[in-house]
Amino acid sequence: MKLSRNWAGRLLAATVLLAAPALSPSWAQDAKPIVIASSEDVISLDPHMLDSNNPTGSVIWSVFDSLVRRDLDGSPQPRLATSWERVDDVTWRFKLREGVKFTNGEPFNAEAVKINFARMDTAPFNSVQQLHDQTGLKEVRVVDDYTIELVTAAPTVNMLYWLEEAFIAAPKYITETSPDEVAKAPIGSGPYKFVDWRRGDALVLTRNDDYWGEKPAVKDVVFRNIPEVSSRLNELRAGTVDLVIGITPDSADQANSDVSDLVKIEGLRKMHMGISIKGEQPALADARVRQALNHAVDVPTIISSLLGGSTSSLLSVVNPPNNNPALTPFAYDPEKAKALLAEAGYADGFPLTLQWSTRFDGGKEVSEVVGSFLEQVGIKPTYEAVELGQFREGLSKASLKGIYFQGWAALINPSVELVILTCGHVDNSSGYCNPKYDELVLKASQTLDDAERQTLEFQAQEIIWNDAPWLYLWRLPSFFGLSKQLSYEFRADNYLEPYLITYK
Amino acid sequence: MLPFLIKRLLQAILVLIGVSFLTFIVAHLTGDPVELMARENATEEDKQQLREYLGLDRPLAEQYLSFIGNALQGDLGYSFVQRAKVTELIAERVPATLELAAAGFLLSLVIAIPLGIIIALKRNTFWDLVVTALAMIGQAAPGFWIGLMLIVLFAVELKLLPVSGYGGGAYLVLPAITLALQSAARLTRLVRASMLEVLDADYIRTARSKGLRERTVLFVHAFRSSMIPVVTMAGLELAELVSGAFITETIFAWPGVGRLAVNAVYQRDFPLIQGVVLLAAVFFVVINFLIDVLYVVIDPRVKLK
Repeated sequence: MKLSRNWAGRLLAATVLLAAPALSPSWAQDAKPIVIASSEDVISLDPHMLDSNNPTGSVIWSVFDSLVRRDLDGSPQPRLATSWERVDDVTWRFKLREGVKFTNGEPFNAEAVKINFARMDTAPFNSVQQLHDQTGLKEVRVVDDYTIELVTAAPTVNMLYWLEEAFIAAPKYITETSPDEVAKAPIGSGPYKFVDWRRGDALVLTRNDDYWGEKPAVKDVVFRNIPEVSSRLNELRAGTVDLVIGITPDSADQANSDVSDLVKIEGLRKMHMGISIKGEQPALADARVRQALNHAVDVPTIISSLLGGSTSSLLSVVNPPNNNPALTPFAYDPEKAKALLAEAGYADGFPLTLQWSTRFDGGKEVSEVVGSFLEQVGIKPTYEAVELGQFREGLSKASLKGIYFQGWAALINPSVELVILTCGHVDNSSGYCNPKYDELVLKASQTLDDAERQTLEFQAQEIIWNDAPWLYLWRLPSFFGLSKQLSYEFRADNYLEPYLITYK
Repeated sequence: MLPFLIKRLLQAILVLIGVSFLTFIVAHLTGDPVELMARENATEEDKQQLREYLGLDRPLAEQYLSFIGNALQGDLGYSFVQRAKVTELIAERVPATLELAAAGFLLSLVIAIPLGIIIALKRNTFWDLVVTALAMIGQAAPGFWIGLMLIVLFAVELKLLPVSGYGGGAYLVLPAITLALQSAARLTRLVRASMLEVLDADYIRTARSKGLRERTVLFVHAFRSSMIPVVTMAGLELAELVSGAFITETIFAWPGVGRLAVNAVYQRDFPLIQGVVLLAAVFFVVINFLIDVLYVVIDPRVKLK
C-alpha cells in the first residue's frame, strides 16, 4: 500500500514541523529550477491539440519546433525551415533544416512534415488545428528529403502565420502511439525535453542538450499551476516562483518587491463592447446609432480610472503596426452622440442590455461604467452576467441581446483580423454584414503584392471603423511578475519561450 | 448485523444510481459542452464533428445507459477537455485529497474535543467565554481569508513554510491548519453543547451519588454518550473533506479532487463531473455506514437492524 504509507509519513512530517517550525525546510533546494506560475493548468501535451497560449502553448513551443517562428513583432523567423519562397500564386516551397533529430532519435525531414500535417487534418485534431482551414492547404509535396512544397486552393498571404502554430512531432512516434499516450509524453525537437507532469500541480522540462539551435541558459523549467492570483504573487514575493503570468490590474503593484518586478505589456487583444445588430434592439442596426454609442463613452477616462492608465484606446480593428494611421478614436462628445441619435429617430433613447461573461476580468465593472455613460445620452441600460458557455453560444450565433464585453484576436495579422467581421463569419458575433467590405477583405487576402494589399486593407479598415460594429475600447493589458535575477522580453500574445530567459 | 449490512448495501446501490442519474441530467441541462470546447472560430460543421467524436450526438437515454454499463465495468469514460481517462484523472488526485482531509480532520479533532470538554466543565467562566467567542469567529471567518493570512505570516514574512504546492510534509501544514480551524470551530461548540446536556442528565447525577470518582464519571459515563452527535457531525465534516475542499485547494494550489470537480463543472466536462460526483457519493455512503457502526461501539443501547 504505497498510498497509506505515503500519507502517514507526511502526516508525521507535518506534526514534526508543527512542533518545531525551525527545522531546516526540505523544500529549499540548492539546484534551483526556474519556476513559472500560471492560473491555468496545461490541458494536453499533444502538439496538434494546442488551443491556449499559456501554459499549454508555452510548453508546446518549448518541446516542439514549428517550421517558422513568430517573432515578438509578428514577423516570421526561420525555425525548422531555413528559407522559403513562393513558386507561384498557390505554391510555397520550404528548405528544411538538415541534421535535426527528435529527442527519441528519429530524424527530421520532409516526410516528417508531411505526416504531421496529415495528422492535423484528421479528427479530433482538426477541431483545434487551423492550418488547413485558414490557408486552404490541399497538398503537401515532398520534393526531396529537405524540400517540401505546400499547395493551397487559392492564393493566400497567411501561410507563414499558421505554420508558426503548426508543430512537428516525431513522426514514427505519433503514428504508432495512441493519442492519449502522446498527450502525456510528448517527443519533439525543441530546446527542452519533457520530464514529468502532475496534473493540477506542476510540469517539469529539462534542457535538450542535443538541440540544433543555441543552448538555453536555463537548465530546468517548472510550470506550476497556481489558480489563485494572490498565491501566485505571494510565491513571487517569497522568491519561490520566478515568473508569474496572469496578474489582474488591481493586484499588479504587488508584483513589485525586493526580489521581483512588475512588467506591463500593452496586449494585442482588442477589448470592445460588441454591438449585436440582430439582437433584441433594432436601433443598433443603424450605423448612426452605433457611432453615437462610440461618441457617448469616454474611453480614455475609463482607462485611467479603471485600468490605472495601463493601456491605450483602440486605433483600428487591426493591431499596430498594420493599422490605418488615418483613423483616430471616436472623440468623447455626448452632444454629438445625442444629435446622431436624434437624426436616427431615437432622440428619446432606447432600452439596451449590457452583457458580459467570466472570460475577461472586470466585465461587470466595465459594463456598468459604459452603461452610466450611455445613460447620459438617454439610453436606458440593464445589466446581465451570462454563464460562459451560454455567452459563447450567443457569440457564435450572433444572438446576444444588446452590447456585450468581449475581446478579440491576440494576433498581428491584418488579413485574419479583418476577415472575422465579414458577413456570416463564425466570429462575427455582432452580425455585421457589408458586401463592399467583404469584397475588399477577400481581394486583400489574395493579393500577393505587399503595397497593393496594404492599400486594400486600409480601405477595409476605414469602412469598418466608421460603420462601428463595436463600441471600441482598448487593448487588453497584460501584467507579469519577474524575478530580479532574470531577464526576459515578454510577448504580447502571452506565449512564453523559456529558452530565451537569461540570468542577469 | 447481517440483515443490517444487506439493507445498507441495497440502499447504497439505490443512492449511487440516483446520484448518477441526477448528475447526468443536471449536467446535460447546463448546455452544450462543444460550445466551450471548440476553438473560438470553429464552424458549425467542426462542432458537429466534435459532437460525433465525443458521442454527444446520440440520444440522451443511450448516452446514460452506456455510461452506466461502462461504469459497472470500472470505466468512467474519457474527459472531454483533458482527453484522458476519468478514472486516471481522479486516481491522480485522490492521494492528495485524502492526505489533506486526514491531516485537517485529525487536527480538528485534536483541537475540538479537549477544548470542547474543558470549556463545558468550566461553563460560564472567563475561559468558556473566550474560547466560545474564538470558535464563533473561526466559524464566521471565511476559509480563504484564514488561508491567505497564514500564507502571508508563515510563508512570505517568516519564510518557515512554502506558500503553496504539493510535495513533502511542509506543504501540508498550512492547508491542513486552514481546514482544521474551520472544522474545529464548528466541532468545539458542538462538543461543549453536547457535553453540557449529558452532564445535566439523571444518570450522571446517579453516578456521582454512587460515589464514583469524578474522572470515571466524566470519561466513562459522560464522554461516551456525549460523543454521539459529535460523531455524526464529524463524519459529515470528513465526508465533505474527502470529496474535496475547493477553496483551500485553490489558495494553496493543492492538486485535489475539489479543484478537479469545480473545473469540470465550468468546462461542462460531463464524464469528469459524473466521475467526481460518483466518487463523492461513494465516500458519503461509506462514511455514513462507518458512523452507524461507530454508534454501536460508543453506545451499547444502539442496536443495528
